[in-house]
Amino acid sequence: MTEETRHIIRKIGMKFLLLAMVLVVLDLVYRFTLYPKDREKYCTLLTYSRIPVQDSTDIIYLGESSNHSCSPLDEDQRAISEMLGDLMPGHRVGKMSKDACHAGIFYDMLRNIPRKSPVKTVVVTVNMRSFSSEWIYADLERPLQKEQIMMKKAPSLYKRMLLAFKAYAHWSDSERDKLVREGLKKQTLHLPYYFPYKSASDWDHAIGTQCYLYNGEKVSMDTIALTCHYIKDFAYHLDDGNPRIRDLDKIVRLCHRRGWNLVFHIMSDNMDQIRTLAGPDLEFLMKSNAQYIIRRYEPKGVAVVNNQYLVRDRDFFERGFPTEHYTQHGRMASAERIAERLKEEGWCAQN
Amino acid sequence: MLFNSIEFVIFFPIVTVLFYLLPHNYRWLMLLGASCFFYMWFIPKYILILLITIAIDYTAGMLMEQWTGDARKRKWCLVVSVISTCLVLFIFKYLNFCSANLVALARHFGWAHPGKVLSIALPIGLSFHTFQSLSYVIEVYRGNQKAEYHFGYYALYVMFYPQLVTGPIERPQNLLRQLREEKPLQYDNVANGLRLILFGLFLKMVVADNLGQYVDLIYAEPAKYSSLDILVGMLFYSFQIYGDFFGYSTIALGCALTMGYTLMDNFKAPYQSGSIQEFWRRWHISLSSWFRDYLYIPLGGNRVAVPRWALNTLIVFTVCGIWHGANWTFMIWGFTYGILLVAERGLRNIHLLDRISNSWGRRILTLLNIAKTFVIVTLLWSIFRATSFENLHALFSALWHNHALPAQLHVAPLAWLALALFVCMDLILRQRRFDEWCGKQNAYVRWGLYAFMIFAIIALSSVQHYPFIYFQF
Repeated sequence: MTEETRHIIRKIGMKFLLLAMVLVVLDLVYRFTLYPKDREKYCTLLTYSRIPVQDSTDIIYLGESSNHSCSPLDEDQRAISEMLGDLMPGHRVGKMSKDACHAGIFYDMLRNIPRKSPVKTVVVTVNMRSFSSEWIYADLERPLQKEQIMMKKAPSLYKRMLLAFKAYAHWSDSERDKLVREGLKKQTLHLPYYFPYKSASDWDHAIGTQCYLYNGEKVSMDTIALTCHYIKDFAYHLDDGNPRIRDLDKIVRLCHRRGWNLVFHIMSDNMDQIRTLAGPDLEFLMKSNAQYIIRRYEPKGVAVVNNQYLVRDRDFFERGFPTEHYTQHGRMASAERIAERLKEEGWCAQN
Repeated sequence: MLFNSIEFVIFFPIVTVLFYLLPHNYRWLMLLGASCFFYMWFIPKYILILLITIAIDYTAGMLMEQWTGDARKRKWCLVVSVISTCLVLFIFKYLNFCSANLVALARHFGWAHPGKVLSIALPIGLSFHTFQSLSYVIEVYRGNQKAEYHFGYYALYVMFYPQLVTGPIERPQNLLRQLREEKPLQYDNVANGLRLILFGLFLKMVVADNLGQYVDLIYAEPAKYSSLDILVGMLFYSFQIYGDFFGYSTIALGCALTMGYTLMDNFKAPYQSGSIQEFWRRWHISLSSWFRDYLYIPLGGNRVAVPRWALNTLIVFTVCGIWHGANWTFMIWGFTYGILLVAERGLRNIHLLDRISNSWGRRILTLLNIAKTFVIVTLLWSIFRATSFENLHALFSALWHNHALPAQLHVAPLAWLALALFVCMDLILRQRRFDEWCGKQNAYVRWGLYAFMIFAIIALSSVQHYPFIYFQF
C-alpha cells in the first residue's frame, strides 16, 4: 500500500467519523421532533404493550382478532380476555390483541413490557393457521413487520432508516402468491398410512380441480373453495423449521428469564366442518400438530390449553371462510378452559 | 436488489471495499460475482436468460472479428445475433401482448382461435441489458469496437451491477475499455460517487415516493377526483417519474464512480427544454442516443426527403414507445411524440425567437417555450402512466367534467416541499452535475447539505414500498 493510498484511507476514515457524529446529532433531532409522531403512526403495538401493564395487571392475554366479538348479535360482547378476567376475581387481566398477530409479534410485545411490571402470567394465543404459508406470507404481515421494527430497542433514527429502506416484507401480490405456492409445495405430507397427495399443494390442486369432496360427495364450487382454504391453512407438519415455532421458543425463553408463568392457548378450529369437508386426513394432521405443541412445550413448564375441539360448528361466527371468530358461547367456553388450567397450575387464586 | 433497500445498504460498501482490496486481475471476477448476486436477488433463474444473450453476442462479436475480410459472413453473423437477442426480448416482453391481442381480435371477428394468453413474467431490466448487448455487436460490426475475447469482461460489461437493471445503457467504447483499466483508490472518485448516491436516494425516496402516493390515488380512481386534483396528479407524476428515474441513474453513476468507473449522464434538466426535440436530448439520454445511433441514422436520419424523414421519426418514436412496455398506451405515447416532432419541424421556419431583439422579450419567449414543452410532456406522461385506455379516458373525462367538484386530494405540505426543493435543485443543476456543484461549495454548506439529505432520506421518506418505475421495462 502506497503512502498516497494510506493518506486517502485516513482522509476517508476521518470523513466517516464526522459522518458518524452527524448521525448522532440527527438521531437526537429526530428523537425530539418527528419520532413521537412516527411511533404513534407506525407502532400501535407499542401502546398495546405498555397500557395494560401500567396498573396492577398480573395476567396478560395476547390474542388476535379472535379475542373479540365479531357478531353484533352477541348479547355478550366481551372479549375472551375480559371473560377470563371476570372468571378470576382478584386478578386483573390485561389484553394485547391486534388483528393477524402471531407468535413473532407477541414476542416483541412481551419484550416491551417494562421489567418492573406486576405481570405474573402470560396467556399466548396459538392460532394453528398462523403456522401455514398462507399466514406467514399474508398481506397483513407488512404492517405488522413495520410495527416490529419500531418496537426494536435501538436508536430511533436507525429504526426509521429500517423503515425507509424497507427492511420489512414488501413482496408484491404476485411475489406473495409465488411464496405461498412454493411454501405449499415444500410442505410434504407424511401420514402413517397410504395418502395419495405428496404435498399440500398437490392436495389443494386435486380438490380444487373437481367438484367432489374426499368421500365422493358432489358439492358446489363455494364448498370446494372452502375445503381448499382449509387444506392450505392446516395441511402441514410442525417442526423446528417453522418460523412460528422459533418465535414460540423465544417466548418461552423470555418468560423463563422474566419469571412469568406461561400458557399457550391452542385456539378452536371448526373441526366439525373440517371433518365433513376435508375428511379424517386433515383432522389427523391437525391433531398431530396440536400434540406437537403439547409435547414440545409442556416439558418446558408451559401450560398448554388445547381447545382445538372445544368450540362446535354452531358457535363459529363465519362458516364460509376458516377463522377463529366465535360467538359469545365459544368465547366463554375458551375462557373457562384457560381459567380452569390457571387454577390447576396454582397460578391464580382459587375461589 | 433495489438501490433503496436495506440489502443494498449492506451490499454496496462490501463490494466497494472488496474492489479496492483485491488486486486488479481479480476485480472483474468479484464484480461479476457481485453483479450476478445483485441480479439474482430478484428472480434467480432469470440469470439464465441474461447468460443466453451474453453468450450469443459474445460469440457473434468474436466471429465478426475473425471474418473481417468476409462482409457477407459478418452481416449474417450480425443478423443472427440481433435476431436472437431480439427474440429473447420478444418472447419475454411482447409475446403475451401479441397473443392477448390475437385472441381479442379472433374473438372480435368470431374466428376459432386456439391461442391462449401466456403468463410469462418479464425478467427485470431485460430491455436495458438487451440493448446494451446489441450496441456491442453493432459497434463490433461497424468496426468501432474490437471484439472482447475475455468472456468475463464481456459478461461484466452487460451485467455491471450499477447499470444492469435500469441503465444507463452504456456503449462498449466507454464501459468495456474502463473495465480493463486499473482503477486506483482516488479520494475524489469516492467522495463524488457517494455524493451522487446521496442525491439519487434523495430524489427517489424523498421526492418521487412522496409524490407517488398521490399519483397512485388519482390514477386508481380518477372519477372520484376534481379537475384540479387531476391536474395536481398529472403534475406530480411528471416529477415522480423524473425523480424516480433520475434518482436511479444518479445512484448508478455514483456506485460506478466510487470504484472509478464513469457512466454516461442520463438526464440534463429535461423539464427546462424549450422544445420536444430538446426534451429528448435531455431525457433518458442513453436510450435516445441509442435509438439515434442504431435506428434513426441507419434509417436515413435527416439526410433524406422530408416525408421519408417524417416516417423515420414516427418509426423511431413508436419503437421507443413499444420499448417501454408491451401495451398500446406506450405505443400511442411514442407515436404522439413522433407526430409532435414532425410538427415541430414544420413550425421551425417561424423562427419567432430570432425575430425578437429585446433581451427581456427573448427571455419571456424562452420561458413560454419551456412552459409549453412541460405542459405537453406532462399531458403525454398521463398516457404513459395510464394502465389502459379506459383508465386514460376516465382521467381525461374527470379532468374535463369534474371542475365543479370540491378538491378531494389532501396533499401533505411535505410533498409540496419536496417538489419545490426538486425544482430548485433542477434549476441549479441545469449545467452541472450534483457532485460537481456540491464539491465546489464550502465545507459548511456541503456538510449542512449532507446532513439535511440524510435526515430527509431517513426521516421524511415514504415508508410505503414503491419500486423504481423503470424496473418494469
